[in-house]
Amino acid sequence: MTTNPRRNLANRCNALKSTGPRSVSGKRASSQNSRKHGLNSPPDFESSPKYQALVELIAEEGFSGFACADIAAGLLNYRRVMDAYYDTYTSPEPVDEFLRDANVKASNPIFSELLSPSGSESQDVREMAAFFASMQRQERRKGGPVSRRSADTHKLIRYQRNGIARLSRAVRQG
Amino acid sequence: MPVEDKSKSLLPFLSSPKLLPNESEAEFQSGLQSLLSELDNPSPLAVALVSQLNESLWWIKRHTVDKELLLHEAMARLLSKAGSNWMGSGNSKLSVALEHYLSGSAHKDEVDFIEQALDEANLTLSDLRARAFKDAARHIKMVDDLIHRQHQTMRHLQRSIDSIDYKSRLVKRMDLELVALESKQSVKGALTLDDKSS
Repeated sequence: MTTNPRRNLANRCNALKSTGPRSVSGKRASSQNSRKHGLNSPPDFESSPKYQALVELIAEEGFSGFACADIAAGLLNYRRVMDAYYDTYTSPEPVDEFLRDANVKASNPIFSELLSPSGSESQDVREMAAFFASMQRQERRKGGPVSRRSADTHKLIRYQRNGIARLSRAVRQG
Repeated sequence: MPVEDKSKSLLPFLSSPKLLPNESEAEFQSGLQSLLSELDNPSPLAVALVSQLNESLWWIKRHTVDKELLLHEAMARLLSKAGSNWMGSGNSKLSVALEHYLSGSAHKDEVDFIEQALDEANLTLSDLRARAFKDAARHIKMVDDLIHRQHQTMRHLQRSIDSIDYKSRLVKRMDLELVALESKQSVKGALTLDDKSS
């Protein structure tokens, strides 16, 4: 992709206008941004001793120098993806049982009791209940632990696809 | 070189596939050994690729179990929603009881509990299963995608292993042809020497 300085500047100016997510679901999603699997960061295999050892062993099979480097990096990259895949699968987002099972309508008196000392009106109580109900809907939509781990692991499909394609290409072209 | 010796060469430099606490290491290793025994040419790279192939097979097993668990999860959710258990710990208790009920290992109390919940919901077990399937369709589709991805990965690995195998066969064949050419050449040389001498 070619870089266009005018477009870059326009993008930066437009980005300055952004005030972040506005909806509740957007805010919730962006609050999880720091929880990453690390697969987007570029790996530095070349400096690891494992890489050198792998290159030497693969070279014994008659592959060229470039092919050995590609295959070793492909193997390490694929393992990195599969390790992240396992970690994501085994540590899904926990189920908030209180939020999932709570009865929102029954909670209305609690909201009004909490809000009335501050002089708030029934509108505030309704808004709070609506917010609570929307959080509950999201929580229920995510399902139980199995649904969550499936959904979380599903996000790594593209990394796995790219990882195996890179490894396979390196081996077949070597 | 035996497969075991070869497998020691590349695999220590790669992170090994991890198992879940309830999974059998022996079963995993026996699957790997049976795949390795089918290799014509167990080179270190081929062994490393076969190990990844075995892991993919293992993931397919896990995801297949997950599909059934998703259904159970949805069934428990539907039951608790329909009945009077939609509060507090009722949901988790129902999930456990349903799990035992479906696997046939439920106690009498659990059987009674589930049958009462089915009555309250006015559903049979097959109705519940059908509704749960519809309810969990989105997540089941995701698991199907994960299984499909593992199949694609296995296809890539199989092609890579075939390519290594083909390469080694090609090298062997070329060596043999070279030897044949050389022997032919030497026979020809001997014949011309014979002609000259006669």
